[in-house]
Amino acid sequence: MANIAVDSIKDRTFDVIVIGSGASGGWAAKEFTEKGLKTLVLERGRQVEHVKDYPTTNMYPYEFPHRNEMPYADKQKNPIVNRCYNYHEESQHFFVKDDEHPYIQDKDFDWIRGYQVGGKSLIWARQTQRWSDFDFEGPARDGFAVDWPIRYKDIAPWYSYVEKFAGISGNKDGLAELPDGEFLPAFPLNATEDYFSKFLKEKYPNRHVISARCAHLSVPNQIHFDQGRVQCQKRVLCQRGCPFGGYFSSNASTIPWAEKTGNMTLRPFSVVHSILYDEEKGKATGVNVIDTNTKELIEFYARVIFVNAAALNTNLILLNSISDRFPEGLGNDSGLLGKYVAFHNYTATISAEYEGFKEYKTDGRNPAGGGYIPRFRNVYKQETDFLRGYAAGFSARRTEVSETNGVGEDLKAHLLKKELGPWRVGSHMMGETIPKVENHVRLDEEKKDAWGVPLLHIDIAYDDNDEKLRQDYFDQMSEMFDAAGFKNIQTHKDPRRPGNDIHEMGGVRMGTDPKTSLLNKWHQLHACKNVFVTDGASMTSTGTQNPTLTYMAFTARAADYAMNAMKKNEL
Amino acid sequence: MNSFINRRAALRNLVIIAGGAMILPACYRKSGKASIELNNLQITEDEESLLETLADTLIPKTDTPGAKELKLHLFVLKMVDDCYKPEDQDQFTKGLRALPSFAKSTIGKDFVNASAKERGQLLLKIQDIKDTEEATEKGQEAGDDKSLKRFYDITKSKTIQGYLNSKYVMTNLVKYELVPGRYNGYFPA
Repeated sequence: MANIAVDSIKDRTFDVIVIGSGASGGWAAKEFTEKGLKTLVLERGRQVEHVKDYPTTNMYPYEFPHRNEMPYADKQKNPIVNRCYNYHEESQHFFVKDDEHPYIQDKDFDWIRGYQVGGKSLIWARQTQRWSDFDFEGPARDGFAVDWPIRYKDIAPWYSYVEKFAGISGNKDGLAELPDGEFLPAFPLNATEDYFSKFLKEKYPNRHVISARCAHLSVPNQIHFDQGRVQCQKRVLCQRGCPFGGYFSSNASTIPWAEKTGNMTLRPFSVVHSILYDEEKGKATGVNVIDTNTKELIEFYARVIFVNAAALNTNLILLNSISDRFPEGLGNDSGLLGKYVAFHNYTATISAEYEGFKEYKTDGRNPAGGGYIPRFRNVYKQETDFLRGYAAGFSARRTEVSETNGVGEDLKAHLLKKELGPWRVGSHMMGETIPKVENHVRLDEEKKDAWGVPLLHIDIAYDDNDEKLRQDYFDQMSEMFDAAGFKNIQTHKDPRRPGNDIHEMGGVRMGTDPKTSLLNKWHQLHACKNVFVTDGASMTSTGTQNPTLTYMAFTARAADYAMNAMKKNEL
Repeated sequence: MNSFINRRAALRNLVIIAGGAMILPACYRKSGKASIELNNLQITEDEESLLETLADTLIPKTDTPGAKELKLHLFVLKMVDDCYKPEDQDQFTKGLRALPSFAKSTIGKDFVNASAKERGQLLLKIQDIKDTEEATEKGQEAGDDKSLKRFYDITKSKTIQGYLNSKYVMTNLVKYELVPGRYNGYFPA
C-alpha cells in the first residue's frame, strides 16, 4: 500500500507546474520543456487541438444556420459574452457562457473568458506592440501606482526572443515611443491610410500612422515551418482557429512545441483551487486541482509554480490560497492582492468619409486590420489636464453599396451590381487607465462555484481621467480628420463596460517594495519566491499597447530566471 | 462479397428513402403546419406559401434561380424564429396575416393569384407606408399597417441577406473566397 502511495505521489510530482495554457502559460510550457524540465500544464477547460478542434474553420457563410448571428435566446441568456465583438456563431464555442461561470459584479464589468487549451490566444485581436520606457517610467514620472521594477532594457531582448518565434509582422518605424522589433514584412497600408499617414507626418511631427504590428506570418521563417505553421492566407477568419497556423496561438505554436519535447503533461479539465504552501519549508509545494469531470480533488507537486490563469483568475487563485502564514491570500503581506486592477479605455470611436482616391479600392483582406497610431499625448512631458494618453487604430475601406429600393427583377439585378462609394475611415481609442486601490477584485465569503471555489467579486469603474482622455481623443482626432480633408466626421461614445476591452490587468502588481507590491522584478512573489506570476495580473500600469506580447516576453524572461535559480538550487 | 452487395443495396435504399423524405413535406404535407420546425412562430402551411410567393416576388427566377428555388422564405422564417425579439416576431406574424386582406382591398384579388407585376406594385405600396406615430393614432387599420410594414421590412432584408449569402450566389455569381491569399490596398477601382 505504502508503495502505491509513494508511486502516486511520484506520478504527481513535476519540476514545474504551469497554471493556464493561454498565450503566457503556453510560453512557460515551451520554455521549461525545451530545457528538459518535466512540466505539468493545467488547463481548466477542454482540450482544443490545433486544426482538429476548429469545427467552423472551413465553413462558408451559408453553412451557418443564422449566417453567423447569435440567436436571440442566446443573447438573453448570455448578455455579457454577447457584448464581445468577436462572439459569433463561428467562434462561440471558444467563449465562456455567462451562466456556466458566474461572478459578482459590484459594478458593471464584462469579464470575457476562454476556458480551453489555448485560452484566449485562439480569439485574440493579434495586435502586438512593444512597450517603451515612456510606459515603464509612467507611474514614477506621473506619480500613480508604484514604480515598475524593470525598464525597457530588461525586457527588450525577451521581446526579440518571443517575436522571432511567434512571428510578428511590422515595419521598422524608428519611433522612440513604440520600439521596433524582430519583424516579418508588414502588411501595407492602403491608399487612404497611407495618405493620412503622410499627411500627419507633415502636419503633426510627433503623430504617426504605422502599419499595425500583428502576430501573423506575412512571410514565415524556418522556425515557423518547424512549428508546422505556414504563411497567413489573409482569410481574416482567425477567431475560428487557423488551419494554416497563420497567426500565433498557443494551440498552433507553443503547446505543440512543448508536446514534442516529451516533457509536457497537459491536463485539461483541471481547475486549480489553490496553491499549497508549506510553512516549514517556507515555500509553495504544489497545487490543489479539482478534476471537473470527476470532481475529485488531486494534489500535484513541483519545485516551481507559474501562475498564468489570466489576470483575474490568477488573482482568484492567489486569494484562495490560504494558510496560517498567508491568511489573506498567498504572498499577500501588503494587503494589496486583488487591488489596483486596471484595464484599457475603449469607449470612443470616430468615423468619416474621404472623397479622394476614387481610382483605388482594396482587394483581398488585411489581417493587420490597417493602421495604428501610437500614443502622442503626454509622451515627453505632461501637457494636458489628464494623465497619460491613448493609442488608436486607424483604418480605411472603400464602401460598396447596392440599390435595394426596388422589387422583382429590378431588385435582383441591382443586388448583384455593387456600386463603389467613398472611402470610409474609422478609428478606435485605446486609452491607458490609472490603477487605483478601489478598483479591485475579492472573493465572496459564501457563494461558491460548481467546484467549491469562491465566486469572484469585481468592483471596477471608469474615472474622471478616462472621461477627459476620451474628450481629448474626440477633439484631436476630429481636428486631424478635418485637416486631412475627411468629411462627415462623427464621434461615437461607445457605452462598453470595463472588461469589454479584454485587457484587464494588475491585482498582483510588480514593484521593488514588498510593502506596496506583490511581485519582484523577476515576477516572483516577494514572500514566496517559487511562485511566479507572468500574465496580466503582474502589470503595475497598463500602457496603451495591446498587452499580450508583453506577457509573452515577461514569461520567457521569468522562466529563464527560474531555471537558472533552480540550477543554483536557489529554488 | 455478398455482404458488400447488400451494403450497396442498403445504401441505395437509404438514399431513396432520404430523397423521398426530403420531397415529402413539399408535396404531401397535410398537417397544415409550416414545413420547418419553428420554436416561436405559429405559421400555417398557407401562410408559409404566402411568404414563399412574397419572397419570390422580391427576388424572382430569371436566367438564374429566384427566392422560391433557393427556399429563401424558409431562411426568413428561421431567422425570424431564432434571431428576432418577441415583439418583432409578433409584428411579423400579424403583418403576414394582414397581407391577404390588404391585397384584396388594394388590388381586388388574392395575393397569390395576382400577376407578378401586381404583386410587385403592392409590395412597393407596403414599402411606402410611413412608420409615423401619427399613423398609429388612427386605430386598428393603422396598427395593421404598422405590422404589415414591419413584417415587410424584415422579410425583405432577410430575403436579400439569404439571397446574397446563398450557396448559389456565393459560388456562381459573387464568389466568396474562403482563402483569398492576398491583400492589395491600391487595387484599381
